[in-house]
Amino acid sequence: MTAIWRRELRSYYYSPIAYVFMGVVLFLFGVYDFQVVMTGSSYYIGQVYGIMFTWCMLFLPALTMKTLSEDRKNKTDQALITAPVSVTAIVWGKFLSAFTVYLITLAITLIPAFIIGAFSDPTWSHIFGNFVASLLYGAAIIAIGVFISSLTESQIVALVGTVGVSILLMLIDSFGSMLDNTFFQTVVSWISFQARYTPFTNGIFNISSVVFFVSVVAVFNFLTARRLESRRWS
Amino acid sequence: MIEVKNLTKRYGSNVALDHVSFSVEEGTILGFLGPNGAGKSTTMNIITGYLSASEGEVTVAGHSILDEPAEVKKLIGYLPEMPPLYMDMTVKEYLDFMYDLKKVKIPKEKHIKEICNLVKINDVYKRLIANLSKGYKQRVGIAQALLGNPPVLILDEPTVGLDPKQIIEIRNLIKNLGRNHTVVLSSHILPEVQAVCERILVINKGVIVADGTPDKLSHDLSSDHRLIARIEGPEHEVLQNLRSVKNVIELQSFGEKEPGVCEYSIEGAPGKDLRRDLFACCTRCGMPLLALKSSDLSLEDVFLRLTSDSYIPKSIQHPAVIPSESSEVKEGGDEA
Repeated sequence: MTAIWRRELRSYYYSPIAYVFMGVVLFLFGVYDFQVVMTGSSYYIGQVYGIMFTWCMLFLPALTMKTLSEDRKNKTDQALITAPVSVTAIVWGKFLSAFTVYLITLAITLIPAFIIGAFSDPTWSHIFGNFVASLLYGAAIIAIGVFISSLTESQIVALVGTVGVSILLMLIDSFGSMLDNTFFQTVVSWISFQARYTPFTNGIFNISSVVFFVSVVAVFNFLTARRLESRRWS
Repeated sequence: MIEVKNLTKRYGSNVALDHVSFSVEEGTILGFLGPNGAGKSTTMNIITGYLSASEGEVTVAGHSILDEPAEVKKLIGYLPEMPPLYMDMTVKEYLDFMYDLKKVKIPKEKHIKEICNLVKINDVYKRLIANLSKGYKQRVGIAQALLGNPPVLILDEPTVGLDPKQIIEIRNLIKNLGRNHTVVLSSHILPEVQAVCERILVINKGVIVADGTPDKLSHDLSSDHRLIARIEGPEHEVLQNLRSVKNVIELQSFGEKEPGVCEYSIEGAPGKDLRRDLFACCTRCGMPLLALKSSDLSLEDVFLRLTSDSYIPKSIQHPAVIPSESSEVKEGGDEA
């Protein structure tokens, strides 16, 4: 698993993907950070991370689109699958490499907070709550993206498919309120990323949300592994 | 070392492999021969665990690929038809990665250096794989298969894309490797298999049609039923007379070789000796028979014959060619 993780991580930084992703996400973060914290003189960092939720949901599929589709297309999956490693290890290696790029990006967003922290006393629990929540929904959408990437040989299809799922996950709350059906609304509240994420921006560390996102990761990584396994039988 | 039993692979209604059985002894080089789409790569992909079989069983050194995939994969070095190379890595990075992926225990630097010397990729060691020529990519693919000194090597068309000099080098390399490895290589190039392999398995349309050493294959199939004769007399008359000989199925004239004497290739039904009937015909018609020899089929002819649509592998026809274990295969051959 570590061999695959290291290779994938290296390939992110040898290609422009990681730099473009980090550049765009950090630029947007900087803009909102400036608007809210600097010009708005607000200590409310949750608002910045709240806006970044939408952007990250849209940009993260760019990290996952190639994970398994490229291997399939270039036949490098033959090297992975015929090596003495399990499909589960392959999937987790791929997942963790994309997650690592995201983690590094998010870690950089903490720099302004540390600078402010040197001169004043920000609410650290609030900042880290937001940080952890961003990591969690990010991990979930990465797991979904890796799964979609395993379904196709085309990176474009994987990208568009995952962005579509991201948008659906963001819009699903408004679907719920559009319909006056309690059952439908309950189902929506189970799936909604937004509903799980929002409490964190208010400074509430919700364990059930943590369990939710971790479960999404586990389930989709499991499905991806099954998908790789089932391809052998087709 | 490798035991394949009743291997069947179906893609939907399309049967890629039809109850293929064979075994490979330790330390032999087995050539897997067949036209494109015969099922060579499918068989290799199943042995290495990349694909799974619809039916049947593969064991390598006693370990079943289904029950102990990790054990089997540790024993096998595999070069697929298209070398599984990451274009964004240098040769060094790639071999380091494959070394880690395969969990090799041999000291890393020394081991990789040795393999690079063996397949002669030292001068491109630090270059990006994407920028290498096809021949070098192929060699990096072979290097990757050799990592960890696996006792079994499975090479799917190892010399594709190499220039003639490299082909000879790689063939010699494979021959040397065959001394302490079990090698299975596939090819549709006959001289290659002839030059390298101790045993040949001919596969066509998912069915094994022949199994034996190169010499045995060409000998068994040629026997006495194809003759080259020099007969004196007008060409069309001789041909007409020869057609009356019993069991002649194919007749061809090579033209005048001496004044008034033409050379003919006379092919009889498999297993039938034509020589006596031919002699009788020549005497009866007053055509002096000046020379007669049996022509050994080249391996190329054998291959073409075995893989032609009309060929039906029946143990009665060529008892020596079809091994007992694949006798059930012949039914499958009828539909092929």
